Amino acid sequence: MLSPLESPEGVLVTAAVRDISARKKAELLLLRTMAELNRSNEELAQFAYVASHDLQEPLRMVASYTQLLSDRYKGKLDSAADEFISFAVDGANRMQRSIQDLLAYSRVGTGEKNVGDISSEEAFEQAIANLRGAIEESGALLTHDPLPAVLADEGQLVQLFQNLVGNAIKYRNPGVPQIHVSSAKDGGKNDEARWIFSVRDNGLGIESKYFKKIFGMFQRLHKREEYSGTGIGLAICKKIVERHGGSISVESQLGQGSTFRFALAASKGKS
Amino acid sequence: MKTIGKEGIPLEVLLIEDNPGDVRLTRETLCSGKRSIHLHVATDGVEAMEFLRQKEGKVRAPRPDLILLDLNLPRMDGHEVMAQIKGDDSLKTIPTIILTTSDAKADIAKSYQLHANCYLTKPVQLDAFNCLVKSTSDFWLSTVTLPPPSQPQ
Repeated sequence: MLSPLESPEGVLVTAAVRDISARKKAELLLLRTMAELNRSNEELAQFAYVASHDLQEPLRMVASYTQLLSDRYKGKLDSAADEFISFAVDGANRMQRSIQDLLAYSRVGTGEKNVGDISSEEAFEQAIANLRGAIEESGALLTHDPLPAVLADEGQLVQLFQNLVGNAIKYRNPGVPQIHVSSAKDGGKNDEARWIFSVRDNGLGIESKYFKKIFGMFQRLHKREEYSGTGIGLAICKKIVERHGGSISVESQLGQGSTFRFALAASKGKS
Repeated sequence: MKTIGKEGIPLEVLLIEDNPGDVRLTRETLCSGKRSIHLHVATDGVEAMEFLRQKEGKVRAPRPDLILLDLNLPRMDGHEVMAQIKGDDSLKTIPTIILTTSDAKADIAKSYQLHANCYLTKPVQLDAFNCLVKSTSDFWLSTVTLPPPSQPQ
């Protein structure tokens, strides 16, 4: 780069030579890394889907035949055989649930993204309808504020509410479970406005040291005999929210209930 | 015209399935009912078509009253078998049921387009599988009136 510089001694010229090859190299590297990351992400999603799908078939055989063995021969061999068979049946059943959950988790990533302006209240109502059995059985009291229109995939938002409310009912204290869903607007500028949703319960609560862990895949805080499930529910919630460009967090104290918060982009339409 | 399945006349069922584990499970449930059933098994599409076109060795293969068809088969897949059955005037009246692990929308749509009589996805749990096979055989072999066994050609 050359720039003229007038001075009493005449016109001087300053010359600046900047070597941008390092920057170009870095840009190229960044592009390559991003492409690589995308490819490996897609591969991983594909892998999880194929693995869980193709594992179902042989596992169905193991599970069906150990179950048949148990149905037909329980009490006819000896007590050790009964015990062995029951461990085999239990293991196969648990593996089936894990695989189904893995499949459900990978579906959040591989399915078509169907994002549009939707009513979060309708999504919430649908989630409640899907949970009717658990709600009636527990006598849970559900309340909610008016819920806004958001920019989201409706099926995934239903699943998100369903997992959070389902957990609130599942991990309840003795007595009536109370669950309240509310929302608050965040951010002034219209095109970046978000809604922060809160799902508050009066359930068991969670120790703060587990706040991060519970959103991991197959993470559980309870023994199998206490609560069933593989520990995929909140991992799916996290994946859904992150796919929408938001984040999810929890605030809780042991014995004092929990509040799960997540953010979604506000609807682009009039609000 | 014989009355199908009544007075101890056995029903002929053709199961087209390549997994011996599934064949046995289906046989266990299907043949544990009161009704007398002859279960014939073809382990791929080519073998199934040979059976249906009565080319099975020297013995005349009986015409099935009901066909249970898996989709994922070696040599000739279930959709191709379905297309051949439903494209053949002498075979197309045999109720043909898809029984598969696939729950893919494309598989379901294609099966019905080829005139499958119904589409069933094999459940993962044994109890549910037994229940499905039992209710299906109850419906197709007891409730419905099947086409007469010998078609006028």
